[in-house]
Amino acid sequence: MTDRWTDRLSEYVDGQLAAPEREELEAHLGTCAECSAVLEGLRVVVERARTLESAPPADDLWPAIEARLVAARSEMGAGASAGDPDTATAPPPAARRSIVPFFRPAFRFSVSLPQAAAAALLLALLSGGGVWMALRHASGVAGNGVAARPGVTGLIAATGEATTSPRTSPVIDYVAPGATNAQYAGFDPSHYDVAIAELERTMHEHRSELDTSTVRVVEQNLAIIDHAIDQARRALAADPASPYLNGHLAQQLRLKMDLLRRVTDFAGPRG
Amino acid sequence: MALPALLVMAIGKGQQPTPVEAAGDVQRAAGGDLRAFERLYRVHVGRIHSLCRRMMGSEEAPELTQDIFVRAWEKIGTFRGESQFGTWLYRLGVNVILTRRSQHAIRRGRMNDDPEALETVPTRPSGSDHRLDFDRAIEKLPDGARQIFVLHDVEGYTHVEIAEMLEITAGTTKAQLHRARMILRRHLEGARQT
Repeated sequence: MTDRWTDRLSEYVDGQLAAPEREELEAHLGTCAECSAVLEGLRVVVERARTLESAPPADDLWPAIEARLVAARSEMGAGASAGDPDTATAPPPAARRSIVPFFRPAFRFSVSLPQAAAAALLLALLSGGGVWMALRHASGVAGNGVAARPGVTGLIAATGEATTSPRTSPVIDYVAPGATNAQYAGFDPSHYDVAIAELERTMHEHRSELDTSTVRVVEQNLAIIDHAIDQARRALAADPASPYLNGHLAQQLRLKMDLLRRVTDFAGPRG
Repeated sequence: MALPALLVMAIGKGQQPTPVEAAGDVQRAAGGDLRAFERLYRVHVGRIHSLCRRMMGSEEAPELTQDIFVRAWEKIGTFRGESQFGTWLYRLGVNVILTRRSQHAIRRGRMNDDPEALETVPTRPSGSDHRLDFDRAIEKLPDGARQIFVLHDVEGYTHVEIAEMLEITAGTTKAQLHRARMILRRHLEGARQT
């Protein structure tokens, strides 16, 4: 059972009631055993929360973190010391940020075309799984009003993290994985389509300059990415405003564009 | 190279760096010194991991903890020393967590916001660790209420700060906090009666 004071008890515990309300509530507590009991219970909860202790993870996570940092450093070509973290002195992270933003696909600068194609395949497969999940839950998109909110820009700005404002430009040239997919809700894929069409045309022009095995690998990967794009478009037809699906489609288009660029770059200098 | 967590804890006990040492490690890490960054990791991993576990659950906490430290390495050059490094790191950690939560909410289509969700928590066996039980109960809270409860009552953020982070009103954060506390109160009373 609750009365009009029950929902104010937390504010009372936190000392947030104005003096007149506080006095009125205190008078009420003198006559209401139930509210007094709830108040005592709330105080126990607050005290428990304050005295919770931190605990490290069961397994040491540092080796995995170190591996990621060393790998990123190696991919940035930080020098021969990259493999020796004990003596390595990399450029300050602030300086490196301008070279390789966090999460930017590192293979862009450092791997072969077949490796890029394999990476594209893997990403398309993984992302395709995401669409499948989204489609499964498409009928239940309701969400929690608090947690489902996409924007955390105020806090991001407070820590100096790069903020990604919703794009107003018609061209989305980089899907930052750290950004919320909501920022891509309603984006116009036609701009990607134009760029992709141009790259495809260029690729076909230089097709004869590539060896057949490379062409085969590239075409297989493009087919898989196209399938993922097709899935995303079909899912979007049912739920055009879905931030996740828009973000996913943008990622797949970007993936395709990156692969085509690598192919054309690869073929270009030889032609 | 890698030490088991318990061994690391044992070695690290009693070896907390002084503020001067910590500041030096921050500076060295900003210059690319991985060993200095590892020392910062050792100091702060417990709280970061606990934050992740309470906000996102035990299953996701290890990966999320990794992501936060990788992000911190990327961003440490932006740390200006105007606050404690730990404060900056936790704030960055909350950013990463909230971004992940937003992505999850979108992907899953719905959050665990069942007000009766906690009713399914098994009753604490007699003699079990009260703190552990309370931590598990927090993990079972409905998502919105849990997020605000952890940020306010565990991490000490104000309603105004939380409202800004989540882009909601302070009134909403107060209501969700009260909701979380009431659920936990019922859970503790239920456990006491068994």
